[in-house]
Amino acid sequence: MKMKKLMATGLAAAMALSLAACGGSSSSGTDASSEAAGSSSAAATSAGGSGAAASGEKVKMTLALRGGTYGDVIKQCLPEFEKENNCDIEVLELEFDDLHSKIALDAQNSKGAYDLVMVDGSWMAEFTENEVLTNLSDAGYSFDDDIIPGTTDICKDKDGNIYLAPYFGNVTVLLYNKDLVKAAGYTGDNDIKSWDDVMKIAQSAKDSGKNGYIVRGGNPDSILSDFIPVMLANGAWVVDDNNKPTVDTPEMKQALTQYKDLAATGQSMEKDDIVAQIDNGDGALAVGWPGWYSPTSDSAGSYCVIPSKLTADGKEVNTSLYGTWCIGVPQNAPDKDLGVKLLEYLMDKDVQLSTVDAGGVPCRYSCLKDENVLKNHPTLSVVCDALEKGVYRPVIAQWNDFTTTFGTEIDNYMQGTESLDDALKNAQSQLELLMQ
Amino acid sequence: MRAKNTALKYGKPDSEDRAFPRLMTLPTLIVLLVMTAYPLVFTVFYSFTNYQYGKKGGYKIIGLQNYQSLFKSPYFQTAVLNTIKFTILAVLFEMVIGLLIAVFVHSLLRGQKVLRILLLLPYLLPTVTVALSWKMMLSQNYGIVNQVLKFFHLPVHNWFMETGTAFNTILLIDVWQNVPFVFLLLYAVLQSVSQDQYEAAKIDGANAWTTFWHITIPNIKGGLILCALLRTIDTFRLFDKVNILTGGGPAGTTSTITQFLYNYGIKNLKFGFGSAGAIIMTILVLILSIGYIRKTVS
Repeated sequence: MKMKKLMATGLAAAMALSLAACGGSSSSGTDASSEAAGSSSAAATSAGGSGAAASGEKVKMTLALRGGTYGDVIKQCLPEFEKENNCDIEVLELEFDDLHSKIALDAQNSKGAYDLVMVDGSWMAEFTENEVLTNLSDAGYSFDDDIIPGTTDICKDKDGNIYLAPYFGNVTVLLYNKDLVKAAGYTGDNDIKSWDDVMKIAQSAKDSGKNGYIVRGGNPDSILSDFIPVMLANGAWVVDDNNKPTVDTPEMKQALTQYKDLAATGQSMEKDDIVAQIDNGDGALAVGWPGWYSPTSDSAGSYCVIPSKLTADGKEVNTSLYGTWCIGVPQNAPDKDLGVKLLEYLMDKDVQLSTVDAGGVPCRYSCLKDENVLKNHPTLSVVCDALEKGVYRPVIAQWNDFTTTFGTEIDNYMQGTESLDDALKNAQSQLELLMQ
Repeated sequence: MRAKNTALKYGKPDSEDRAFPRLMTLPTLIVLLVMTAYPLVFTVFYSFTNYQYGKKGGYKIIGLQNYQSLFKSPYFQTAVLNTIKFTILAVLFEMVIGLLIAVFVHSLLRGQKVLRILLLLPYLLPTVTVALSWKMMLSQNYGIVNQVLKFFHLPVHNWFMETGTAFNTILLIDVWQNVPFVFLLLYAVLQSVSQDQYEAAKIDGANAWTTFWHITIPNIKGGLILCALLRTIDTFRLFDKVNILTGGGPAGTTSTITQFLYNYGIKNLKFGFGSAGAIIMTILVLILSIGYIRKTVS
């Protein structure tokens, strides 16, 4: 009987403890402050004046945005626009896949639900093919000279018509921990120039009991994005000019071998863990995105442009991968004119400048080279350099399946469940089937 | 006259008598047709097409191509094997642990109500909350599990990123969340077992094991079968935990059929391909459950 009582108490305590742990750790959120962008009034006014606003009736707008910093910086600019244009704006903050499917599903309705949407560059081929977005050129929108030219390529179709505007300058950079880089004899200030340097720092960190180079694990898309800089540095690429898969090549083998060597100095982790490791000094290096981490001059971590050479005297190639978040107006937007006006307002130089302190990364020279901005956010000059020479993912409608297949095979090799030859052979045959 | 009326009442019902019960079952039939039969027919139909929602130009019938692609895909084969392995292990652990807890709580003289509520709580939590909570507890950087292991100088793991641990970690989380369901169902069945049998066994000198094996198990057999059937069907559809915690990795070790269909079908709105996968999945669940269903019916 005593034994039973003891077990009952034990069971009750175990359940209560485990549930308390659940309750305590489930607090997460991405709610941004709703402060108005200070210097954006003029832009909001110039963008205003819709029919509904003029009639005094409040217009309801709905935006579908990527959750996290990407959407937060837009949210903080909205109150000024709402005030000037007599409208209420509701924001849906969505995960990557959810955002894609919501936009694609809504495009089938004659009258859509969204006035403005955030779009990843890799969806452009599919969305253009299926006429999801409004032709912004026809609506009178054009790019000014201040926008970094490389970031606009993905926003246009073959004929040069604009469908998107580059809003958040996401491009891969090399995250590093200042102390661990310093311990290896580097400063991080333009002296990590080759992948040999990366390996030296990673090995030095590993020797001191830390994680050297942290690779990104999780879903296949993340794995492939993390590998692409190494792939580019080795002169490999996923497709040829005719979009035929080219993954089973000597260059790709060399790239994957080097990637595995780098991974051996650290571990495989997810985004949040990578940032935490760099920030708390448990990890030295990782490929990341500016949207993940906004270091100030006092931060323990920082980032630099990803090395463009394999060795100090090697050939220089672009290795930064674009992941720019663009904004566009759906073809079936409830109030297309107001949607375009909001897009113009959000792309305004002053409005974009006002987002920097909240983690915004505009694709504008004037913002990324502003002396006042660089005092607090010195890494934005790195982003500017990376944005000038980034590389886009291939513009193919099958990219989602492509990345799932190739990412899975890379993971199979990295985890040791397949040999290098088998992984690339399988990837090549599966991708050829896909692209048929 | 009275005898004739009685004969009529208990004899073969006339058409008017038959019409009323038919009318009464009509709403159920309509609901079943709209909610079950219609989607099923369309899922079967779309599985023979290349239908991709949102793609210009409509769709065309492509015969068995979707099924051929699925059976040829090495990733689908891995997903099927993982799903079957996961289902068998999860149902087995959930049934055994749930049964033991149910028998234990049932045997308590006091505190049954409190334990019942506490034990049920994990099952009441949304799966997303459970997955995120475990993700944080098992985090490499700030997770309490690794910190406790470090404190006791035990080896720590990158739980969701290592091929050796990812599958078992998700299995553990799933078992943790679903044991309460098994417990509750079996506990309810145990309530209906006559105490006379236990008293008789006690008088005859039966020990705890003999009582459990010869009295408890035969009496709750129906509940066990039903519980195993429900858990098999539910576990086979495992998606949320895998999608949030591992996305099917590392190296496909946690990839399930639903995760595969999401990655290659639903995510790209390829409903034709996704429908073919759903049909195969339904057939597999039926095969796995056929034994249970037969026993339940008999």
